[in-house]
Amino acid sequence: MDTLIQQLINGLTIGSFYALVALGYSMVYGVMKLINFAHGDLFTLGSYIGYTVLVVGASWVTATFGIWGGMAIALVAAMIGIGVAGLVMERIAYRPVYKAGRLPLVVSALGMSFVISQGIMAIWGPNPQAYLSGWTPKDFLQFGNIRVPVLQIAILVLALGLMALIYWLVERTTFGAAIRAAAQDRDTATLMGINFNLIIFFVFALGPALGGMAGVMQGLKYTRISFNMGWLYGLKAFTATILGGIGNIPGAMIGGLLLGVMEALFEGYVSGAWKDVFIFLILILVLIWRPTGLFGEKTAEKV
Amino acid sequence: MAAVLQVETLCVSYGAVEALKGISLELDEGDIVAVLGSNGAGKTTLLKSISRLLVPRSGSIRLRGADINKFAPYQLIQQGIAHVPEGRKVFATLTVEENLRMGVFGVRHMAPGKEYKKTREWIFRLFPRLLERRKQLAGTLSGGEQQMLAIGRGLISKPSLMLLDEPSLGLAPVIVQEIFRVIRQIHQEEKVSILLVEQNARKALGLARYGYILETGKIAIQGDACDLRNDERVKAAYLGGAKVNNPAC
Amino acid sequence: MADLTSKLTQRISKTQGQSPQRKFPRATGLVLLVAAVILLGAFPLLPFVNNYLIDVGFIVGIYALLGLSLNIVLGEVGLFDLGHMAFCAIGAYTTGILFHQLHLPIVILLPISAIVAGGFAYLVTSPVIHLRGDYLCIVTIGIGEIVRLVLQNNPGGLTNGPNGIGNIGNPDFGLFSIQSPAQFYYYIWIVIGLVIIGLINLQKSRVGRAWNYIREDEIAAKANGIDVRSFKLLAFVLGAAIAGIAGNIYASKYMFIEPNNFSFMESALLFCIVLLGGLGSIPGSLLGAAVIVIFPEIFRQFASYRLLFFGAALIVMMIFRPGGLWPRRREGLGFAGLGIAKLPRDENALLAEAPVPPRPGTVPLKTYRLPPVTVAMSEGLTLETKAITLKFGGLVAVSNFDMSVATGKITSLIGPNGAGKTTLFNVITGIYRPNKGKVVFQGRDITKLKPHTIIGAGIARTFQNIRLFPSLTCIENVMSGPHCHAREGTWPAVFRTPAQAREERRIVELASYRLNQVGLWAFRNELAKNLPYGKQRLLELARALATSPSLLILDEPSSGLNDKETEDLMAMLQVFLGEGFTMLLIEHDMNVVMGISDWVTVMDMGSKIAEGPPQEIYNNPLVIEAYLGKEED
Repeated sequence: MDTLIQQLINGLTIGSFYALVALGYSMVYGVMKLINFAHGDLFTLGSYIGYTVLVVGASWVTATFGIWGGMAIALVAAMIGIGVAGLVMERIAYRPVYKAGRLPLVVSALGMSFVISQGIMAIWGPNPQAYLSGWTPKDFLQFGNIRVPVLQIAILVLALGLMALIYWLVERTTFGAAIRAAAQDRDTATLMGINFNLIIFFVFALGPALGGMAGVMQGLKYTRISFNMGWLYGLKAFTATILGGIGNIPGAMIGGLLLGVMEALFEGYVSGAWKDVFIFLILILVLIWRPTGLFGEKTAEKV
Repeated sequence: MAAVLQVETLCVSYGAVEALKGISLELDEGDIVAVLGSNGAGKTTLLKSISRLLVPRSGSIRLRGADINKFAPYQLIQQGIAHVPEGRKVFATLTVEENLRMGVFGVRHMAPGKEYKKTREWIFRLFPRLLERRKQLAGTLSGGEQQMLAIGRGLISKPSLMLLDEPSLGLAPVIVQEIFRVIRQIHQEEKVSILLVEQNARKALGLARYGYILETGKIAIQGDACDLRNDERVKAAYLGGAKVNNPAC
Repeated sequence: MADLTSKLTQRISKTQGQSPQRKFPRATGLVLLVAAVILLGAFPLLPFVNNYLIDVGFIVGIYALLGLSLNIVLGEVGLFDLGHMAFCAIGAYTTGILFHQLHLPIVILLPISAIVAGGFAYLVTSPVIHLRGDYLCIVTIGIGEIVRLVLQNNPGGLTNGPNGIGNIGNPDFGLFSIQSPAQFYYYIWIVIGLVIIGLINLQKSRVGRAWNYIREDEIAAKANGIDVRSFKLLAFVLGAAIAGIAGNIYASKYMFIEPNNFSFMESALLFCIVLLGGLGSIPGSLLGAAVIVIFPEIFRQFASYRLLFFGAALIVMMIFRPGGLWPRRREGLGFAGLGIAKLPRDENALLAEAPVPPRPGTVPLKTYRLPPVTVAMSEGLTLETKAITLKFGGLVAVSNFDMSVATGKITSLIGPNGAGKTTLFNVITGIYRPNKGKVVFQGRDITKLKPHTIIGAGIARTFQNIRLFPSLTCIENVMSGPHCHAREGTWPAVFRTPAQAREERRIVELASYRLNQVGLWAFRNELAKNLPYGKQRLLELARALATSPSLLILDEPSSGLNDKETEDLMAMLQVFLGEGFTMLLIEHDMNVVMGISDWVTVMDMGSKIAEGPPQEIYNNPLVIEAYLGKEED
C-alpha cells in the first residue's frame, strides 16, 4: 500500500510535467491548428537555461537568496527565456510558412526541433549534465511509512498551481474567452475586435514558457538532463494531449496527470524496460479508437 | 443626410474568380438598405470586404468619409461597425454570456461595468430566450436562438452601423418573423444604420427603404423598396431571364 | 522584424506557383545520366580512391537505397513517415536471426527480409493508415521507437538486446562471395540500379499516378474512383520491403547490428534526404543521400552537428524552395514523361489516332464489386432516390426526398442557399449514408457502397470548388478518369508487361480525346494549377467524362464563370447530351438551368417542393416563394 502511494506521488509529479508540456501543445494547436514538434525541445532548452543560471551564479545566488531563491530564479529565467524563444521560433520558422500549407509547416516544425536539440548539444556538449545536489533542499516529510521529499511536494504544488492558474485564465477570464473564441473561428473573432496577432503572441509565449519551467522542474527533481531528452518527453506529452483531446486545455492537464500515474504504476508493477512501449501503445490505440480524446476535441464545431 | 457608408466601384476576387465587378452603393445615417440576390451573387463577399476580412482588388470603401483602410480589421468594431456574419457563427464552446461578452471585447469604453450590464439587460429583454439559456453553451442552442444570440452579440456594442448577413437563413418562418420584428425595432428606436443582406427578397424589401439586387457580382437593379417590391425584373434576377430554350417545350 | 517576415511571405507566394524551369534539353539529360553511371562504375578504380573512400561510397549507397524507399511513401504519396528505420531494422534483424537460427544463406535472406519487412509494414500501418498527416507522423515515430525498444529489450532472447547480433555472414553467390569493400560497393549500386528501374516504371504507370493523385488531393482521388486506402498501404509495403533489403545488405557488410543503428535520428536523416532532395524525385533522393553522407566527411569539425544544419536547411527549404534541390519535373517533358511505350513522336498524331470512346453505359464495369441488379427501375431512368432522409444530430438536412434522373436527359436540382442540395449529392455519391431511404442506380441499390465503388459503378462528379490535381499536368489529371476501369496492377507496371503497355496506351488515348473535346488540347502538358479558372472548370469536366460515366453529376458547373464562359459551357453540355450522357446538375445560375434542363427538381429546407419542365418551374408560386420569400403580412 505504501509503495502504491509512493508510486502515485511519483506518477503525479512526472504527470504534472507532462501536463505542463501538454498544455503548450494544446494551446498552440487550438489556436493555430499546428502541432509544434519543437515544443519538447523547448522543454529541454528550459532545463538547460535553469542549469546555466544556477551553474554560473550558484554561489552568489545561494548565498543571497538561499536554495529556494536559487530555484525560483532558475524557474523565472527559464520562463522568460523560453517564452522569448517561442516567439522568435514562431516568427522565423512558422510565420513565413503558413501560406505554403499544412505539411510544409510540419516539416518546418521538425526542422526547428532538430535545430534546437542539436543546438543545445553544440553549446552544452553531448554528454548529459546534472543539476547539482547543492541546489536543492534535502529535507523529507514523513507520513507514516512514507517519506516524501520536500522538493517533490514543492514542485507538485507549483505545477498544480500553474495549471490552476492557466485553467482560471483560459476558462474564467474574458481574455481566455477571447483565446477560445479565436481558436474556434478566427474571422468572427476579428469582427469582435480580437487582434489575432495578439492571440498568437500569447500562446507562443505562454505555452513554451510553461514547458520551459517544467524543464527546470525536471532538472531539479531528477537531476539528469541531456540534449535529446526533449524528444521522448515531447512524444509522451503529446500522448497526454491526445488523451485529453487536442485543443482542450483542462483535458491536457488531466491527460498529463493520468499518463504520469499510468506510467508510474506500469513501471512499478510490470516492467521498467517496457514502460515507453506501453506509453507509445497508448498513443497509437487512442489515435485509432478515440482520436478526439477522453474529453472530446475542443476545436471548431459545425454550428 | 450624411452617408455613413460609401462603396465605390469595388472589385473583389478570390484568386482567379471575380466575385465583385465594380459595385457602388451608399448607406445614409439612420437608413436601412437591403442587398439582395441569389446565391453566389456576391452579397457575403461585399460584407466581408466592408469588414476588411477580404482585400479588394480595386475600388474604395469609406466610413463617414474616411477611407476604411485606415483601420485594421479588428479595429472596426471600435468605429461602431457590428457585423453579424452569415450562418450565425456563434462561438459554440463559449456560453451565451461569454458570446455576448465577446461582442464588446474590442470596444474600449464598454469594459464590463454598469453600462455593459445595462445594455445586456436590454438584449435579454429583446430576446427573453437568451436570458433563460444564459449559462448554456452556444452550440447547444437551436438555430433560431443562435441567430438571436448572433444579433444580440452584434447589438451589445451599441453600434452605429450594423451589417446583417442573411439573418433568415435556414430558420422557420415564425422565427424569421420575430427576428425581422427586432431588426425593425432596432432601426426605429435605436436609430442604427443597417445594411441588410438577404435571400428572402420580399421580407427584406418590406423592411428596407432602398434596395440593390446583385447578380453575378454586379448590381442588376436598384431602387426604392416600394418600387422593387412589384418589379418583375426582381423575379427574373432570381429565377433567370425569360430565356427558356428548351426544345421540348 | 515585421518587414522581414512580410518580405519573406511575398517571396514564398512568388516561388510557390513557379514550375521548375527546364534547364537542359533532353539530350543533355541523357548524357549526364551516362556520365554519372560511368563515374559510379569507375569510382573504385580511380587512383586516389582507397578502401575508406569506397566504404563511403557504400554508405552513400545504403542511404540512397533507404532514401528511395522512403521516397515512395513520403515523396510519391505524401505520407509523413518518421519511423522508417523500423522497417530497415526488421530486415536487418530478420537476416541476423534467421542466419543464426536456420542457417539460411544471406542471399536467400535478402528476399525473405524484404517480405518480412513488407508484411510487418502491412500489419502495423493498416489500423492507422486513415489518420491525417500530422497524426500519422506521430504514429510512425511511435512505431519506430517501439521497434527499437522491442529489439533492445530482447523478448524471448531472440534479439540479444543492446549487445546486438554479430557474426552475420557475407553474401555468397556460390561462384563468388561479396567481401571486399569494392565488391560491396558494386553490389549495392547494382541493387540500387535495379530498384531505380522498377521505381521509374512504377512512377510512370497507373500506380505511380494514383499515388500522386492521392498526394495532391485525396478527396478528388476518391471521387475519381481510386481506392486510396489500398494504394497508401501499397506504398508503405513497398517502401518497407526496399528498406528491408537495405537492412539485409547493411547487416551482411558490417556483420554486426544493434538496436541503436536504427534510431529516430536515422529516421530523421532519411526524412531530410527525401525532403531536401525533392519529393517524388529519384535523382533528388540520390543527391540528398550524397549530401547527408559527404557533408560530415568534408566538414569533419561539424560532423556531429549535421542534423543541426539539415534541420536549418529544412526550414530554409520550406520557406524558399519547398520543391527540393532537384524537384521532380513534369511539364516540359510532354507525353514522353508519361513513359508509355511506342508513342508517336507527334502528340497530335496520337490525338488523330485516338478512337471515339464508347457510348455511355457501354463500358464494362468491375462487376465483382457491385451488388447485383435487383431493383426494378422504371423505363428510361438511370438514377432514383427513394425517400432519402439524412439527419446531422438534431438537424434534418434531407427529408423524404424522391428524385428521378431520366436516361439521356439533363436534370437540374435547384433551391435556395442551405436547402440541402450538396448534401443530397454527397448521399448519392456515397460520402454520407442516409438514415432512411435508398439510392438506386441502373437497378442496383448503391446506398451503402463506398465512394470509390460508386464511381466504378459509373457515376462521376465534379466539385463546386474545383478539385484538381494542381501539380500534375492536364493530361495526367484527365488520365485519372479511366483509372477505375483499368486492371493492370503493380507487378505488370514494374515489369512493363505488354498488356499493361496496351492499357496505358488506351488510357492516354481516351484522356486525349476528352481533353480535346473540351478545347484544352493545347494545354495538355501544362500544370493544372497554372490554368485560368474557367479552363480549370473545363479540365474537371474532361476528367469526369474520362471515367466514361453512365451518370455525370455536376455541382455548380457555372460557378465563377463569366457570361461568355457560361455560354461555352452550355454549348459543351449540349454536345455531351448528344453523345448520350445522362446529367444531373446543381445550379444557381437560372439562365443555365432554364436554358438546358429537360427537367427541374426544386429543393427547399431539405424537402422537394416542386418538379417539372423548366417553364412550369419558372411560374410555380411555391418556387417563387422559396426564392423570393412570402408576401409581407
